Amino acid sequence: MSEIEARDIRHVYDQGTEDETVAIEHINLTLEDGSANALLGPSGCGKTTLLQIISGLLQPTEGQVLIDGEDVTDKPPAERDIAQVFQFPVIYDSMDVYGNLAFPLRNGGVDEAEIEDRVHKIADLLEIEDILHSSPANLGPELNQLVALGRGIIRADTSAILFDEPMTDVEPSRKLTIRRRVKEAQQEFGITALYVTHDQHEALTFAEKVAIMKDGKLVQYDTGENLYQNPVNTFIGHFIGSPGMNLLNCGLARENGAAYAQLGPHSVPLPSGIHSEIDSSWTDCQVGIRPSSIAVQVADPKDETHYVPATVNQVEMLGGYQIITATLEETDVEVKARVAHDFAIEEGVNVWLSFPPADIRFFHQQQAVSAA
Amino acid sequence: MKQRPWLFLLPALLLVSISAFIPLITVMNYSQLTLLPGTQPYFAGLENFATILQDPDFQGALWRQCLFSFLVLITEIPLGLALAVCMPKEGIGVGVSLVLLGIPLLIPWNVVGIIWRVFTRSDIGVLPEVFEWVGYGYNVSKFAGDAWWTVLAMDIWHWTPLVILICYAGIQAIPEEYYMAAKIDRASPWKTFRYVTLPNIRGVLIIAVLLRLMDSFKIYSEPFVLTGGGPGSTTTFLSTYTSRMAIGGFQMGRGAATSLIYFFIVILLSFVLYIIMLNLGQGAGGDQ
Repeated sequence: MSEIEARDIRHVYDQGTEDETVAIEHINLTLEDGSANALLGPSGCGKTTLLQIISGLLQPTEGQVLIDGEDVTDKPPAERDIAQVFQFPVIYDSMDVYGNLAFPLRNGGVDEAEIEDRVHKIADLLEIEDILHSSPANLGPELNQLVALGRGIIRADTSAILFDEPMTDVEPSRKLTIRRRVKEAQQEFGITALYVTHDQHEALTFAEKVAIMKDGKLVQYDTGENLYQNPVNTFIGHFIGSPGMNLLNCGLARENGAAYAQLGPHSVPLPSGIHSEIDSSWTDCQVGIRPSSIAVQVADPKDETHYVPATVNQVEMLGGYQIITATLEETDVEVKARVAHDFAIEEGVNVWLSFPPADIRFFHQQQAVSAA
Repeated sequence: MKQRPWLFLLPALLLVSISAFIPLITVMNYSQLTLLPGTQPYFAGLENFATILQDPDFQGALWRQCLFSFLVLITEIPLGLALAVCMPKEGIGVGVSLVLLGIPLLIPWNVVGIIWRVFTRSDIGVLPEVFEWVGYGYNVSKFAGDAWWTVLAMDIWHWTPLVILICYAGIQAIPEEYYMAAKIDRASPWKTFRYVTLPNIRGVLIIAVLLRLMDSFKIYSEPFVLTGGGPGSTTTFLSTYTSRMAIGGFQMGRGAATSLIYFFIVILLSFVLYIIMLNLGQGAGGDQ
């Protein structure tokens, strides 16, 4: 119900002491009104710090937090109308589920009739009507996490809800159900949501846009499709997708104005759109391609150009498909490619790989080079 | 595999049986006998118990004991809890306050008694001097009231730090997220205490209450050193009564019977209090 903006946020822990650590640096992030967002990144990259700064539990060393354009940096959490769901279910043990859900409303001085109304509405939405009068101590972590979520969204004025790895304690088999209810609640109320996780599958299924952080910096904030197709640097390319993008160090070659990535003796044509952006004198270049984009064939393509011969080192059967790892001939470059589950292949055989130019991404000094 | 825990418990069980179980059986045996110096012991059955239960001195001591333990609990537990909540949570203050709190606990009971005795002596003591300034003639060996609240003050000074330490440890173990959630839920400081701190330390609080109940019931050295149980018998508690009966009065049989009655009262009270505290607040126990 609100637009949340983090403007040039920087946070340093234990500033001025010998333990001083910079947790996040110069982060700019705007979450659109009513959008579902995820914050993804490896452990220790500053996700939780950013989350706590947005909710007001932590004061940033520098920068501002704005809700609908209003600067709330100095406001305590209670005045920001932002809810937060924590890693493990935070439940008030001495109250039943009803009491837990009603707690934020009672603290806000809402009258009992309205509280009852809201509690039943939320319980209905989260499908926890039947446990309203149970003690949380007797419920599992899944249900407790739903109660914690309910407490977050029960206030009519909740402008945003932040999730800090909420599925940590939830059994894998129940994650899907819980995630569905979370998503339904978010859509029903049109609450701006930010979901912190280190699991990309969770992030991509929950969110419309995903912000990826690394070492305290925001690397890319984009839709799942764009993160997959157009990573801004090699980190995103490798991080998103399982297995990640192949990132191969390469040289550069020019021929009739076209640019080629040079992998040992093999040249691979680069997408035509970026030819003019490439400077032949560049070093530290990488060519990136998704394992699923590489065409693999066992038969010698004979005269067809730009097929690269390789030797298969490893074949991993993953049920619906196989991942093969192959070394390009006369080089020590290893490439992973994805082939169908019934593709006849075994370790040690020679194959020919083709890299369709449209699916190739080119990186200079780890940063993506894209068409102007 | 199944026997292994018992093997580990064996040394402790052996020690307990030597130091507690055997003396307890001996006391049970004595309690049935009439033992007077210079005479043959003869079997008295439950006579000793009946005599003691009807003894007005015993009834007085028991009543004083209950009142004393009640006052100790209603002062030390809230005070200790409140101070524990106010204790610094990090930084140099933690170490400083822990050391300060440790000091009274390190002093042996009888030394505490002597310190307070010097403190309250009418000739050289600081306390009577201070009271004289405000026009009050304080005297522990003359006035029952003075003796009473001085013993109480001694106990509070000596043992509240234990309650603080127990509660503090409990509070420190509460995950920070609970307090964050309470902030987000707009809980007032009182509600945060009521719904976050208190339920989460219920387990350690039960331990603190039981320890203080049992220990205060056993109080002996402090009033003994301070006033010797007087003036009159106003600070004679159950322990003082028992030792007087057994050692002062040479009535080992009755002393043994008193000990047993005393023992069962402590167990009964502890059990009742434990059950009450466990059921305080709904959804009791469970995860504690």
